[in-house]
Amino acid sequence: MADSPAPDLPPGGTGTAVATAPGIDVRGLRRAFGTVQALDGVDLVARAGAVTALVGPNGSGKTTLLLVLAGLLVPDAGEVRVAGVDPVTQSRAARARTGWMPDAFGTWDSLTAREVLTTFADAYRVAPAAIPGRVEDLLATVHLSEYADRPAAVLSRGQKQRLGLARALVHDPQVLLLDEPASGLDPRSRVELRVLLRRLADEGRTVLVSSHVLSELEEMADDAVFLSRGRTVAGHLGDDAAAARRTWRLRALDRAALVAWLDASGVVWRADADAADGAVLLDVEGDAGAAALVRDAVTAGVPVVSLAPAGGALEQAYLALDEERR
Amino acid sequence: MGGRTEDVVTVDGSTRTDAGSTGVDEARGVTWHGVRTVAALELRQRVRSSRWKTALVVWVVAVGAITLLSSGALAALSRTESDPPSRGPLLFAIVTVLVLGLGLLVTPTLTSTAVNGDRAAGTLATLQVTLLSPAEIALGKLLAAWSAALAFLVASVPFLGVALALGDVPVAALPRVVVVVALLLVAVCGIGLGWSTVAARPAGSTVLTFLTVAGLAVFTPVFFGIAFPAVTQTETVTVHGISPEQWQDLDGLELENGAPANATCETYTEEREVTHTERTWWLLALNPFVVVADAAGTSPGAGMDAAANRFDPLGTVSEGVRFLRAGPPDVQEECWIEDGSAVELPTAGAVWPYGLAANLLLGVVGFVVAVRRLRIPQRTLPRGTRVA
Ligand SMILES: Nc1ncnc2c1ncn2[C@@H]1O[C@H](COP(=O)(O)OP(=O)(O)OP(=O)(O)O)[C@@H](O)[C@H]1O
Ligand SMILES: [Mg+2]
Repeated sequence: MADSPAPDLPPGGTGTAVATAPGIDVRGLRRAFGTVQALDGVDLVARAGAVTALVGPNGSGKTTLLLVLAGLLVPDAGEVRVAGVDPVTQSRAARARTGWMPDAFGTWDSLTAREVLTTFADAYRVAPAAIPGRVEDLLATVHLSEYADRPAAVLSRGQKQRLGLARALVHDPQVLLLDEPASGLDPRSRVELRVLLRRLADEGRTVLVSSHVLSELEEMADDAVFLSRGRTVAGHLGDDAAAARRTWRLRALDRAALVAWLDASGVVWRADADAADGAVLLDVEGDAGAAALVRDAVTAGVPVVSLAPAGGALEQAYLALDEERR
Repeated sequence: MGGRTEDVVTVDGSTRTDAGSTGVDEARGVTWHGVRTVAALELRQRVRSSRWKTALVVWVVAVGAITLLSSGALAALSRTESDPPSRGPLLFAIVTVLVLGLGLLVTPTLTSTAVNGDRAAGTLATLQVTLLSPAEIALGKLLAAWSAALAFLVASVPFLGVALALGDVPVAALPRVVVVVALLLVAVCGIGLGWSTVAARPAGSTVLTFLTVAGLAVFTPVFFGIAFPAVTQTETVTVHGISPEQWQDLDGLELENGAPANATCETYTEEREVTHTERTWWLLALNPFVVVADAAGTSPGAGMDAAANRFDPLGTVSEGVRFLRAGPPDVQEECWIEDGSAVELPTAGAVWPYGLAANLLLGVVGFVVAVRRLRIPQRTLPRGTRVA
């Protein structure tokens, strides 16, 4: 995918048309399964042209939310717009615009990877003449050309996952709903997935990704939505991350000197219990605060080795959530 | 994505442009393209598995062996008799019953897991989110299963041909049997498809489908038998024959010497037990075997020699069920003396159109249920299942 030529969209063509397209808009969404309230008031905006991360503990309703967005479940209450279309009342129009990748990719026993993609291109009414080329491209994108003619059932977990991604892309959807796409992928494939999703977003598509790998999400997501017990608990990430107060990890060659200086300058710190290198954790006001801290420490002669955010912003925000796993 | 923009395919114009159109008639939207896509997917799934080929070979060997063995046995039997009955109708009946019976055993397995099996494998939802309509998915699955069932049927046609070649069976019986069996099998496919959307587990829907088929093929005659006493009652009937008074007048010697010369048939009334099978015949008509037997039309028609010595089980069943449908006649014809020929049994019209229609109706009900249950977005899920 990285070596494919950059799409040079004609001015006023698909590019601009998609760029102004609406993304995903969810308000007050509720859905119960019997007595389990899987979604309990979800408000979410995913912009077109951005990658939005969907984060939450197990059982928080991520998959259920994506099912509603994909037009598979009727919500009990609330309003949903996917690419400007209501997936409940305008199911077909919504489905034409949406590519959904379930968290587990079911396969047909005796179909090859190529046949799976061809079948789905047919099912999405892709013009017959365009199908073979399209399928070849997708197989190359997810690096499965070599396995194109093997039964999909014998592919490895990661390969199946990549085939599932190709399947979700087969009709060139405006909105992508990916449920834990990175699970089972090797590090290289993860990097490629990240690049691919970024490119898709840069083309003006709306990309909503659920995942538990927060460091991954952080690198590709523009926004983050936190779900907990079926409720959205935090909105946008991105812009204010640089200014927000968060925990940083500071390490010096001489721990004693570091601690002495910190105590002397009245900075509240705590030891990093998880690490053996003597680093300390402290809360700093945004990037500017961190820069000031480094300057002061170096000026005071503390042999600073590193100052870095402790965990990602996403991870911190996540761990800050008071809510628990179900 | 290859990134070659000229290859970027768009979904067909109509769906992209009329974003405002609501999916009102979506469930009914059926295109041949969509049906073919699903059917091809299903057939690839099944046909490519070698199990299926093995099943077909076993089928041909089993039907062939039974056909040849029974025709051999019939030949051996007829050699010992002076006036052997013709073997054609009997062999034709054996092969027909065999093909229908095995078909009713095999066909339920073709559709009874079609939907919940896919759901368990995690492939159903991915198919539902495409632009395929529920009717296209259901029809594609039905078509694939039916063509598989038809493959078994076609493989047995040569053996029906063998029976036909032995003579005494009208040639039209072959296409009639094949068409009626094919229609009965599509009905079973529809029933299985319906159950596979209703039951959450593949095992459950398979059992339910087999029970439904057994209900049609086995339980209907049983119920007919159970209902028999209920429709039997004593009532006054009109009889045309030799009245009991005349019998008393006749003397034994005359009877021994043959037909009494002075006895005449007259109409009289009498208290008798009659069974109103015209109220319960439909139980038998539901039976697929009865439907095929009645539709086969192997009874000696105008062109056939009625007096020929033929043993024709299909024709006998057909005549029997038509007789039962007619019920007791207004006037019981018991005038045996006037000539030697057998008295015409009262018969009603054909039974098979009703039976076939009822079976097809069940299939249609199953299909409609399947289409309704395949609609998305779903409000209720089968208990204990997830969409994905
Ligand atoms: N079909 C169903 N029937 C009953 N309960 C369900 C169903 N689907 C989901 N739930 C419940 O709804 C809640 C949300 O489930 P969901 O699958 O959306 O969680 P998730 O956020 O995707 O979790 P994970 O991170 O483990 O994938 C869970 O408590 C789950 O048990
Ligand atoms: Mg999930």
